[in-house]
Amino acid sequence: MTPLAPAQHPWSQRRPAAPLLILLPALVLLPLAAVLPAVVHGGGWELIGQFAFAAITPSGDPVLLASALRGLGVTVAVALLGWAVSLALGLVGGVLSSRTVWRTMAGRVWPAGALRRLLAIPRSIHELLWGLLLLQLVGLQPAVAVLAIAIPYAALVARVVSDLLDALPTAPLEALRAAGAAAPAALLTALGPALLPGVFSYGGYRLECALRSATLLGVFGLGGLGTELRLTLQSLQFHELWTCLWLLLAVMLLLEGLVRLLRRRWGMPGRFGLAAGAVGSRGRELLLATLALLPVLLLLALALGVNPAALLVVQALPPFHPDWPAVLALPWGAMVASTLLLTLLAAALAVGVAPLLLLLVAPWPWGRLLLQGLWALGRLWPPPLTALLLLFVLKPGLITAALALAFHNLGVLGRLLLEAADAAGGGAEAALRCAGCGPRLALFYGRFSGLSRSYLAYGAYRADVILRETVVVGLVGAAGLGTLLLEALSSFAVDQLLALVAVYAALTLLGEDLSDRVRHRLLAA
Amino acid sequence: MTRSGSPSGPGSGSPSLVLELRDVTVPGRGADRLAGVSLQLRAGERVALLGASGAGKSTLLAVANGLLQPSGGELFWEGAPPARSQRLRQRQRARIGTLWQDLRLIEELSVQQNLNAARLAEWGWPRALRNLLQPLETAANAAALRQVDLDPALLPQSVTALSGGQRQRLAIARLLRQQPTLLLADEPLAHLDPRLAAELLTLLLRQATAPRALLLSLHRPDLVSGFDRVLALRAGRLVLDAPPAALDAALIQSLYGAESMPALAEPR
Repeated sequence: MTPLAPAQHPWSQRRPAAPLLILLPALVLLPLAAVLPAVVHGGGWELIGQFAFAAITPSGDPVLLASALRGLGVTVAVALLGWAVSLALGLVGGVLSSRTVWRTMAGRVWPAGALRRLLAIPRSIHELLWGLLLLQLVGLQPAVAVLAIAIPYAALVARVVSDLLDALPTAPLEALRAAGAAAPAALLTALGPALLPGVFSYGGYRLECALRSATLLGVFGLGGLGTELRLTLQSLQFHELWTCLWLLLAVMLLLEGLVRLLRRRWGMPGRFGLAAGAVGSRGRELLLATLALLPVLLLLALALGVNPAALLVVQALPPFHPDWPAVLALPWGAMVASTLLLTLLAAALAVGVAPLLLLLVAPWPWGRLLLQGLWALGRLWPPPLTALLLLFVLKPGLITAALALAFHNLGVLGRLLLEAADAAGGGAEAALRCAGCGPRLALFYGRFSGLSRSYLAYGAYRADVILRETVVVGLVGAAGLGTLLLEALSSFAVDQLLALVAVYAALTLLGEDLSDRVRHRLLAA
Repeated sequence: MTRSGSPSGPGSGSPSLVLELRDVTVPGRGADRLAGVSLQLRAGERVALLGASGAGKSTLLAVANGLLQPSGGELFWEGAPPARSQRLRQRQRARIGTLWQDLRLIEELSVQQNLNAARLAEWGWPRALRNLLQPLETAANAAALRQVDLDPALLPQSVTALSGGQRQRLAIARLLRQQPTLLLADEPLAHLDPRLAAELLTLLLRQATAPRALLLSLHRPDLVSGFDRVLALRAGRLVLDAPPAALDAALIQSLYGAESMPALAEPR
């Protein structure tokens, strides 16, 4: 008889098993189903029907098409420029906030920690808030949208780059240093090539995000196709709205396809580490592509009329007479609680519904295609517009805002889950199918088992993103900090604005810390 | 399920047919992966499948367990062709157990849950979900473990805590829990040390008694003595269907070429 391993870790009988874990967030559907009837006012089902019908009958008006294409051009240009600036700044920031770099260069690590904490502030403020704040300061100009994307994105890239740098094995670096190599040369040689694939993979993801952010900024009047989307929705011109949406969808899918192709071609790691990749094998090609991008960016900046000097000219601001007692008297507890509730609800919905839908719909003959379409629409459709659409049939409030946020994030998570499921290989699932198991049970046991922890870890990160995004649904009266923030912005209540931004930033940083812990626990398990 | 498809179904006197392939062809790039392969496997038969790498052994097993649809020819499971209805086909496939070379255990689940995964074809969702929350059918699982010389105390453990040999045995125990009539094994002895390979082979041969049949592909001609028949493939064609005694050095040489030499050197 084979010798026994000592009885250890009977974990499986105490904790929910992996496939169940992935579906746990979907339990939020139960309380939601209980409260939803009270939120429905049902007045606008006809409008929803007209909206849905318009999807197959978009307007072909040449004037509209020309205007939509111009708007799309602006959105893409803003996204590309904001992304490129953020990547450049983020790389510098990431290197400067890396403990490994500081230890090698100066023999101490505290400056890295200090810079990381400093970079947490721009990161914690959503690009929409940056956009609206900059708009107040320097007026409406193309550079505002670019900078609104570049500032928080650069801080996000910096964090990822420094995390990647600090996670790399230091043995090659120490070997080079011991052989007498100078610190900068040793860092570049030992860590540079290993860092590149991760950076470019994350950069590709940020480019996709930048397109969504540029669209969102447009919804709030910062130019581009988003403005057209909002105007056509508010004036109920659904056929015109769908013309814009189909154009945007085409560009978004093209961009995502390109990023996926390059990720595969350059051997970069997959999105949540499920498809392990080697170090980029086509360095020269990658370098040439980067160099070729520079003149393109320059031309885009010229076409867009970006003038960095104009950003230095600050507009005359109204006199600042702070009324701090009034600020303190705001219902902070209720606002923070409702913001957190909104975040949790939206995150649980997005994280839970993606695997549930995959399980229910993917085995249908056209199921995967249907899901890919639904998830593309979710990613495409900015949450404020979803919220406006939902207002046709739902009352304004937290539930409506949560549904809007959840739909958008469902698009992101659903796509990731599908990609991860494909990358993970289906050995166990195929084995179960061969043993006569039905397609759904085989998917549930065979594939979800391996995916659940990494997916939920990504879900924890997404919850952190959703907390930051709650501000964008403030306009539907979600009763959280976002609503008040937008009111403070429009009424020039600078004291309230400062306090709200500070609370929002603190909350986001706390959320980030919490989601980090959850993520590490999930992955460690 | 009709049994009229096969001329040698029950009632013909000899043990019933568990698997039958008639003139099965699977196209490949250039040459066919399987070219006109016909074979029969009866209850209680233990058949070894030999052939050099790329000869078509895995393809044949993939056709036999329904993973691969042949482009030509016919396939019969227990005398019936694969059903058109998904539900009926699932029932047919539930009676085919495959031992995969990479085992395909579900790493995130416990030994108990892995064993019960073999019963999913019979269970509905409620039971499948309960299996993830509490131990189910512990007595049957313990018996399956004992059959493969594993201690039932392993049941609550994570699969990742098992040694390589224990994992191999667990995969066989999972097959037993499925209660198949057709056992297919795709090179289960590859990459195992000689002692473990011999132990596992004995274990598999012991399980293959009527009404069950075993079709096992392997790379080592020196291990075929315990089988009733030996089939051999070369370039996708069945070139041998004979008792093990018929296998001589010249035949092995013709099957494997230079590849066979290490196997021949080992004691039988």
